[in-house]
Amino acid sequence: MNTRHQKPDKRPKGGLAIAKGRFVASILMPLLLYQSVGIFILAWVFALMFFDYSPGRLGGPILGLGGSNPFVGLKHFVEMFTGTSASAALFRTSLKNTLIFAFLVLPLNLLITLPLAYLLEAIGERLKVIYRTIYFLPVLTSSVGVALIWMSMYDPQAGWINTILRAVGLRPVAWLSDPRAGFLGVPVAMWAVVIAYLWQDYGYNMVIFIAALQNVPHELREAALIDGATPFQAFLRVVLPLIQPTFLFVCVMTMLSSFQVFDIIQVMTNGGPGYKTQVLMLDIYRNAFRYQNMGWAAAESFILVLLVMGITLIQMRILRTRWEY
Amino acid sequence: MTTQAIPQAGSAPRKGYRRGGKLAGRSLAYLILTIGLPLTLLPFLMMILTSFKTNTEALRVPPTFWPQHFTVENYLKILNNPKLPLLRFYANSTFVAVFNVSTTLFTSALVGYLLAKFEFPLKRILFGWYLLSMMIPFQITMIPSYLILAKLGLINSLWGLVVFSAVNAFGIFMMRQFCETLPGELLDAGRIDGASEWQIFFRIVLPQLKPALATLGILVFMSNWNAYLWPMIVLQKIEVRTLPVILTWFNSTYTGQPALIMAATVLIVTPILLVFVNFQRWIVQGFTFSGFK
Repeated sequence: MNTRHQKPDKRPKGGLAIAKGRFVASILMPLLLYQSVGIFILAWVFALMFFDYSPGRLGGPILGLGGSNPFVGLKHFVEMFTGTSASAALFRTSLKNTLIFAFLVLPLNLLITLPLAYLLEAIGERLKVIYRTIYFLPVLTSSVGVALIWMSMYDPQAGWINTILRAVGLRPVAWLSDPRAGFLGVPVAMWAVVIAYLWQDYGYNMVIFIAALQNVPHELREAALIDGATPFQAFLRVVLPLIQPTFLFVCVMTMLSSFQVFDIIQVMTNGGPGYKTQVLMLDIYRNAFRYQNMGWAAAESFILVLLVMGITLIQMRILRTRWEY
Repeated sequence: MTTQAIPQAGSAPRKGYRRGGKLAGRSLAYLILTIGLPLTLLPFLMMILTSFKTNTEALRVPPTFWPQHFTVENYLKILNNPKLPLLRFYANSTFVAVFNVSTTLFTSALVGYLLAKFEFPLKRILFGWYLLSMMIPFQITMIPSYLILAKLGLINSLWGLVVFSAVNAFGIFMMRQFCETLPGELLDAGRIDGASEWQIFFRIVLPQLKPALATLGILVFMSNWNAYLWPMIVLQKIEVRTLPVILTWFNSTYTGQPALIMAATVLIVTPILLVFVNFQRWIVQGFTFSGFK
């Protein structure tokens, strides 16, 4: 750990090098000690997913693994994807719902944020700040607060959304509790949490798009317009390719955070009605902390992490190509 | 790390476009943007208006827009509820957020400086570890972390929310990036003047990092203040809870009293929102720096 002895340096060291070495060592020692806990935690969770572990049972001598918390090898993973047990079925439901959620959120988010950012970029400086502040407000709000606000909006009787539906002559919907009602093949409860999530999240992507759009020289767009392109064509053919790296980056980040969604759904529906909004994080949380089924939950979280890591690696790929050009 | 190159270069070519005389286009932009505003603001407005209604009015079908009998009774009920000592929950949240901001800023600056300006044997490994730990989501470490806290007897203790939060990989990368721009001459000048390495860090490096630390600080504060899942796992007793956890507890305890719940939401969500709005510039800066949320 101490740099002085490991560096192959032939010259005699001066006081400065010694002082620097001491400084580095005095930071590294506690730091590495602290980080080793992190490595230990990772190793632990990696071990956990091969055991049938519950903290309530007194297991073997090492971390309670073994004994009444037996080693089961890949059983959890086999069970997850091929098993017929209730928890295996629920895992697959959660995985499916997580994917539905993420693939609803991403296009809808882009459809809102990109045009709004584009419009916002074109208007005067002072108003721009005001608009952006307002659009950014939900991002700053605690997601529990967002969930409660939207729960009152979705209230089947006194909620505003149903009031508007009634006013335009449509049938009111029990947004958060009707397991059968659906729209485009997706349960209404799922739409409800997606909308609340979008409302909270879109300001975030907007500021990132605005930052990217500021970098596009307006002359390029003007030139396209003079050449007879419609504003929409100019956007599609000139502006969009120029902000493509940011566009891809935003896609990845939006995917990542929607794979890990928890707060809003836990508060609004808690996975219901009838597991229609049960997502992976919710399932992991329940198995780990309610049913104390931590080996299974660890295996589930590993699947989630594989998903997240896969997307992160794609992101890094994208960033690398960006640096090149 | 990804988009930060963008704002620097983007200042020059804006004026010419505005002179372009595209009045129609711009009015359309204003129009669409203005239509978007109520969609963003209405839920907040509903929350505030409902909180001033009586409970019977809040349950009425169809709902009223403005409160017919404007009342602050809901607020008084919450503030006078001995089972809901709001000040204590504010203190809990503040303790966790301030503690985590302080430790994160200190360790990020120190380790970032170390990685940027020093050569030492384990540097590459350390660097790789932080890169990896940025990719590992919290969910996977959640279970062992909980088991460790249980062993240490830190369940139901606010310390449980700070022991694993002292080092933040994102913060380290951010500070490293800024430290790399520090001129080596500046540090060497300090050394020649006889300053110790720690003095150089505290007297020369830290002051230079102030703007970056402010950005990181507000981001870490915000994510701690709004955190929900981990505090919910660790804090199972009511009196030690932080604000988001207490808000959901309140919601499930007083179901069927929407006006009361909205008043609680106003009391818990809005004060800090005003603070965040004031720091908005820094938050946006941090977000565009690397997509940290």
